[in-house]
Amino acid sequence: MIITTTSIIEGKPVQEYLGIINAQSIIGANIFKDIFAGLRDVFGGRSKTYERVLEEAKEDALRELTQKAQAMGANGILAVDLDFETVGGSMLMVIATGTAVRI
Amino acid sequence: MKSYFGTYHQPGAGPVESTVLVFDKMISIGYSKTDGSNQMLQWPLKDLTITTERSGDCTLLRHLQMQGELRINGTEAATHIQSLQEELQKPWIKRSSGRDWIRSTMVFLGIAGLLVLVYLLIVPWLSEKLASKVPAATEREMGDAVYNAMGMDTKEDKASSAVLNEFFKAMNIPSRYDIRISVVDDGVINAFALPGGRIVVYKPLLMQIRSYPELAALLSHEFTHINERHATKRIFRSLGSRIFISLLFGKFGAVTNVLVSQAENLKHLQYSRNLEKEADMEGLRILMERKIDPAGFTDLFKHLKNAAPGSALPEFLGSHPDTDKRMEYIQKAAPGAEIKEIEKLSAIFDQLKNTL
Repeated sequence: MIITTTSIIEGKPVQEYLGIINAQSIIGANIFKDIFAGLRDVFGGRSKTYERVLEEAKEDALRELTQKAQAMGANGILAVDLDFETVGGSMLMVIATGTAVRI
Repeated sequence: MKSYFGTYHQPGAGPVESTVLVFDKMISIGYSKTDGSNQMLQWPLKDLTITTERSGDCTLLRHLQMQGELRINGTEAATHIQSLQEELQKPWIKRSSGRDWIRSTMVFLGIAGLLVLVYLLIVPWLSEKLASKVPAATEREMGDAVYNAMGMDTKEDKASSAVLNEFFKAMNIPSRYDIRISVVDDGVINAFALPGGRIVVYKPLLMQIRSYPELAALLSHEFTHINERHATKRIFRSLGSRIFISLLFGKFGAVTNVLVSQAENLKHLQYSRNLEKEADMEGLRILMERKIDPAGFTDLFKHLKNAAPGSALPEFLGSHPDTDKRMEYIQKAAPGAEIKEIEKLSAIFDQLKNTL
């Protein structure tokens, strides 16, 4: 499966466009991670705890996107776009969108 | 998750191109059947056998029970899937995810323990240290401001207040504060102390008091609140705890804030009960030092209890200890107290009763 943010893949023409797919992952950084992140906010510096949660949410969203593409018979996803939002104050949301194609 | 391109050899049919997604516990094989429909197979990693071709440029995957074979170019897939299988065979505690979990838990417990220690020991110590630095003049200004804001000055019974101040002076209690007692004509059976030296006693309470030891107990209790800076300490403790908690939980959702804030309120009430007990015990010491009957305390508590028989809250929700418990610890602490009649106090008390 080729997953790319570009709209074409060099040397591999698209044989079939299978449709737009999207997947989202909403993760609540638990209360303890919030405490650590809160301390980091007070004392400054990078919040590894939130970074890991964000990374996890991104992986989950892309995994789900890939599974959807595979279920459609695709072997590539083009123009992948990742959006990052917060939901309900402290929950992190990642939305992955792309076009499932057969190349 | 990793993905590969492969060739799936279906049982009884020719090879088809497929996409292979490798997850932590299984692989997913997607391919198109000859009729054009999409097919997906999911093989658990534990059921896979992995071999590589002798030429070393192809990975072969087979399911233990199912027919069919998956071929993936190169050996990287074989190495990756083998490492996942090895990880799955380890006991949970030895897996990298398990080790991460244990390490995170240990770090969390360490930091949480440290924060609890700071909250329970350092914050109160620092708050009380700061409270002790507040000059008496500032406390007096604070107390007067509250007194005026409550409109007490307009309700004060000057004649009774003068006699009550005389009574307190006759008790001869040394203090760095200028103690000023006001009798307030309002319908509440209560008394309280304000920082800086003000004591407010409501007239209905005075009318219930039947002996001078009772009055001495009341005043010595309220005096201790002032002399030990209880109100100022309470303000600083509350301020310190709330700042600390808002640093930790300030960015949380409304539900967490409500829970934390209520827990903090309960803790503050416990602190308040401790201060009340301290005021009782120190008040008792003042009485015993002057040979005033300690029964004044228990009589006073009886009056307070009778004044509000049905409104008793569970102790953990109260700012004062349970009245029965107060009577109990006072009685335990006062056996064998030397008592003598103090005529001066008795005479002023009679004079006070006449003014009410």
